[in-house]
Amino acid sequence: MAAEPGGRTVLVLPDVAAPPAAARRGRRWPAFSIGVIAGFVLLAVFAPLLGLPDPQSQSLRNRFKPPVWEESGTWQHPLGTDRLGRDLLSRIVWGARVSLAAGVVTVLVASAFGAIVGLVAGYYRGRVDATLMRVTDATMSFPVILLALILAVTVGPSFANVVFAIAVILWARYARVIRGQVLTLMELDFIAQARIAGAGAWRVITRHLFPNTLNTLVVLVTLQIGYVIIVEASLSFLGAGIPPPTPAWGSMIAEGREFVTSAWWASFFPGLAILLVVLAFNLLGDWLRDTLDPKLRQL
Amino acid sequence: MSKTAATRVPSHRATARVASTRARRTLMASFLSLTLGLLFTASPGLAQGKTELTVALSSFSTEVLDPVLGGHIVKYYLSMMFDYLVGTTPDGQPSPGAGLAVKWENSPDYKRWTFHLRKGVKFHNGDDVTAEDVKFSLQRAIGKRSTTGYAGPLRTLIQDIETPAPDRVVLVTKEPTLIIPTYLSRSLSTEGMVLPKKYIEASGDDVFARKPVGSGPYKFVEQVTGSHIKLTAVDNHWRIGVPKYKTVTFKLVPEETTRIALLRRGEVDVADVSRERVKELEKEAFPVHFRREEAILSMWYSFGPDGWPAPFKDKRVREAMNLAVDRAEIAQSIFAGKAEPAAIPMGLSWAFKDIGLKVTPEMAYPFDPVRAKKLLADAGLGGGLNMDLYAYQLPGLPEGKAFAEAVSGYWEKIGIKTKLIPVDYPAYRKLWVDRKVPGSMGYYNIANRDWIGTFALLEKQAYSPSKPNDTVNDPEVDGMIAQVLRQTDREKINGLMRNIYTRIRSEHAGVPVVYLHSAYATSKTLGKWNPGTVMYDLFFDQLASSK
Amino acid sequence: MIRFVLLRLVQSLVALAILSVVVFILARATGDPLHLIMPMSATEEDYANARRYLGLDRPYLEQYFSFVGKAVRGDFGMSLRARRPVLELIQERLPNSLKLAAFAMGVSLAMAFPLGIMAAVKKGTGVDRAAQVVAVLGQSLPTFWLAIVLVEFVAGRLQWLPAAGNEAGLASYVLPGFTLGWFVVAGMMRLLRSSMLEVLDSDYVKLARVKGVVERRVVWLHALKNALIPVITFAGIYFAILVTTAIVVETVFAWPGLGRLAYEGISSRDFPVIQAVVLTTAAIVALISLCVDCLYAVIDPRIRHARS
Repeated sequence: MAAEPGGRTVLVLPDVAAPPAAARRGRRWPAFSIGVIAGFVLLAVFAPLLGLPDPQSQSLRNRFKPPVWEESGTWQHPLGTDRLGRDLLSRIVWGARVSLAAGVVTVLVASAFGAIVGLVAGYYRGRVDATLMRVTDATMSFPVILLALILAVTVGPSFANVVFAIAVILWARYARVIRGQVLTLMELDFIAQARIAGAGAWRVITRHLFPNTLNTLVVLVTLQIGYVIIVEASLSFLGAGIPPPTPAWGSMIAEGREFVTSAWWASFFPGLAILLVVLAFNLLGDWLRDTLDPKLRQL
Repeated sequence: MSKTAATRVPSHRATARVASTRARRTLMASFLSLTLGLLFTASPGLAQGKTELTVALSSFSTEVLDPVLGGHIVKYYLSMMFDYLVGTTPDGQPSPGAGLAVKWENSPDYKRWTFHLRKGVKFHNGDDVTAEDVKFSLQRAIGKRSTTGYAGPLRTLIQDIETPAPDRVVLVTKEPTLIIPTYLSRSLSTEGMVLPKKYIEASGDDVFARKPVGSGPYKFVEQVTGSHIKLTAVDNHWRIGVPKYKTVTFKLVPEETTRIALLRRGEVDVADVSRERVKELEKEAFPVHFRREEAILSMWYSFGPDGWPAPFKDKRVREAMNLAVDRAEIAQSIFAGKAEPAAIPMGLSWAFKDIGLKVTPEMAYPFDPVRAKKLLADAGLGGGLNMDLYAYQLPGLPEGKAFAEAVSGYWEKIGIKTKLIPVDYPAYRKLWVDRKVPGSMGYYNIANRDWIGTFALLEKQAYSPSKPNDTVNDPEVDGMIAQVLRQTDREKINGLMRNIYTRIRSEHAGVPVVYLHSAYATSKTLGKWNPGTVMYDLFFDQLASSK
Repeated sequence: MIRFVLLRLVQSLVALAILSVVVFILARATGDPLHLIMPMSATEEDYANARRYLGLDRPYLEQYFSFVGKAVRGDFGMSLRARRPVLELIQERLPNSLKLAAFAMGVSLAMAFPLGIMAAVKKGTGVDRAAQVVAVLGQSLPTFWLAIVLVEFVAGRLQWLPAAGNEAGLASYVLPGFTLGWFVVAGMMRLLRSSMLEVLDSDYVKLARVKGVVERRVVWLHALKNALIPVITFAGIYFAILVTTAIVVETVFAWPGLGRLAYEGISSRDFPVIQAVVLTTAAIVALISLCVDCLYAVIDPRIRHARS
């Protein structure tokens, strides 16, 4: 027991750890995640320099050739070929560019817009907040896949449409979370002090509020990249994804899904790529959250 | 305080709590295993005794059960519920034994057609089938709101419908014509289906669509839109005797892996399968029925507001497009060998025998990309050209998008930069019909059919006055088609049709690719089945026939 | 409290109103449904007649208000494709979607609980890691791929469970429910784990440990009870997500639910169906959010007063 000036009593408890005590999480780097992501990013960036066959050159005679370790496989196509005889390894490497770009661009656009909305809503409160939150609510309840389908049917599927369709709904999530954070931050002393000192809205938001929401943003962004890549795959399945002949992991799996037993490699390898990358992003996001602020449990 | 583990004094309360926790855990475990056990021993779906027939299809086209107002294509389930005025054999030949008309005759001037109706036929609600019903059905089929495919020519031709007796119907036409019986038969579309006049007039179209009543061997039981349609057998029917199957269920299962899984589980007796998976099923000894040349996969050019778009106006370019495609390779690879190269655009081969057309080896396009490039250069397009190809899947053509990619690959090799535009077919059709995308290409798996059906198709897609759907825009062809409409001499008609096709082929009015054989996998216990060669009909009633 | 509920209700209605405008515009932007319904030989006059018959020739504003006015009474118009009242179609399919979502929710909870608790209690060890990976795996596989693999092997080859439809009783729910449910396990498990960690770290629990309470009791009775609250509130949101995103699962398993209805509506440019499905799912999400917020407000009075 200790006494403080002012008469408040604070209970100081001994730090009795729960058995068994383990190493604190957060100290160990997520080697797997970083390794996988770095690996794929490098592959994506250096794809043109790797001397791979053209990912779009078809050769119907060579369709569904199995990977090199199977009976009729060759080193010409180490992972086999797809339905139109295109080299699978090359498509996966080039597809990394498309799928990763789709994930990153969508999430950046959504988070930028969402963060702005959240900051503004949280700062101004009142009518502004109410209006923005109603729009956010409306947006969040619109199913992403349906919107993407409608767009695909209206303007035709394309990379831009996929990004737009997902981002246009995803931002609402960021807006909500950031707004919540801002509301809490606004109660704190240092904000009041800044305003007393004469800081305008812009200054308060950019100098004081935004930096304190960065942690949350980083965690959300990391976790959502994987989600976007998965949604793109589902959209390809429904016919609204990134259109052929552009190699994208989602559409490769969708194309090969009928041949799960006969030409398993056509959907297995792109599936494995998605699995590794999304898993890596998710685990990385978890680690970031645990390190930066475990209280972000609602993410 | 030191950082030792807190001392725990096991009290009897603690022990009791440990025990209760253990008890809770055991309870949880047993509950879980019980549930799992129940789940895994659940009976695998419907019991497939011999009294139930279940068919899994990848698409139902529209699901309005009104044969006239539903924008129909497929007749799989309609043919079970309704009778046709003129019945056919599974090969599409008009047959008095299979329709409501036991006899029909024409006047010498081919302007009056008399149909004698079967006696004693009743609708499912007990009403008798009379000439009034035939007249009513026909008027409805060619009426303003009808959405059937071939009502057009009927509308122009039919002047009057007389009902001189309850078992006699007379059609009076404005011009002499041969097409009446076939247009009202099973071999074409649904215009010949006989519907209950009293029931529809009393209940209205909407009620009829939801609770259809016909006179066929199967009665409507229930429909869950987007899921299934259930029918139940009548006791005895003149078409098939005592139906072998008490119930017939059509299930909509869009995903092929699922359809095949249902077949393996015995929950389904017939499933349409893609050509690429036939081998896998044959290996497991599932009988696979093929409808050979069920459709022709034919590509066409979209016109602009004034006909042929610029680069394709030149016949040499059109020929080059044809020479660049390796049809044999496409047939072997994309369609797993279940296809044959086609030589004539929109060439519906089931009609060739009827009209005496022989497809000679010269008519077949060789695979000659070298010559194709030369033709392009001759036409001044040595530097290549840009083109849009709309890519989509269709019922019966799950390989649609892969096919489009493959074909574009061949054209890329001769310098035609092809941009693939994935859409769904209705979207492309709108653009095509509105003439908003001149110079682009589309395709369809056009169902094969007999000569009258073929003529009907040509009248739609090769005839300038049919404006939106014309893909040929050739005054010579127009002239010939107009003549057929008025011709009653079979020999002359045949000659005209042969010339039409020869002209279409020599003008390279499109890119015919392959004839598709369609595969239907069945359960091992199904028995003999002849799916027939009538478009969009699989003759399931034959399966149920005890005759 | 009442004031809070009413306020939230009004907010939800405003959101729905905004959504109705958006979906009205979007549905019409998809194209002309007449091209699908009318026969190829239809003339301009036929199209004009059909448009008039279906009410598609009225000015948009009039169409919109007519749509809203009827929708409020539950009349969503007639499906252009199926020629049946849309309300009937929704009534047929909504229960199927709800039941599947409920089952999937059950699967998620059944998986998330043991995983989350193990991970929290054995924090930092291999068990924690493994539990995390199992949970996250559900979010890292494309849904349709998992569904197809399950259909092919578990239903088709091993024949343990039905492959399609919802007519074989509880067994029909297992594969689609599992596919759908695994997707949200990660989120729930994370929540549970973090909540438990936070509670386990809290003063209350430290005091309990100091008092010498048995560890197992600490975990089960104290920590879990308090960690459940955020999980339950988020279970509501997840349920809404499950209902609205099941389209892929419904396609593969031929499950007659809302997702498929929406897909068919979009493919056939069936405005009334598109509008109705989007509004229905939005209303469900709004309703569930409302209940969840109220629940949360009851439990945590600070929320009630902080919001407005």
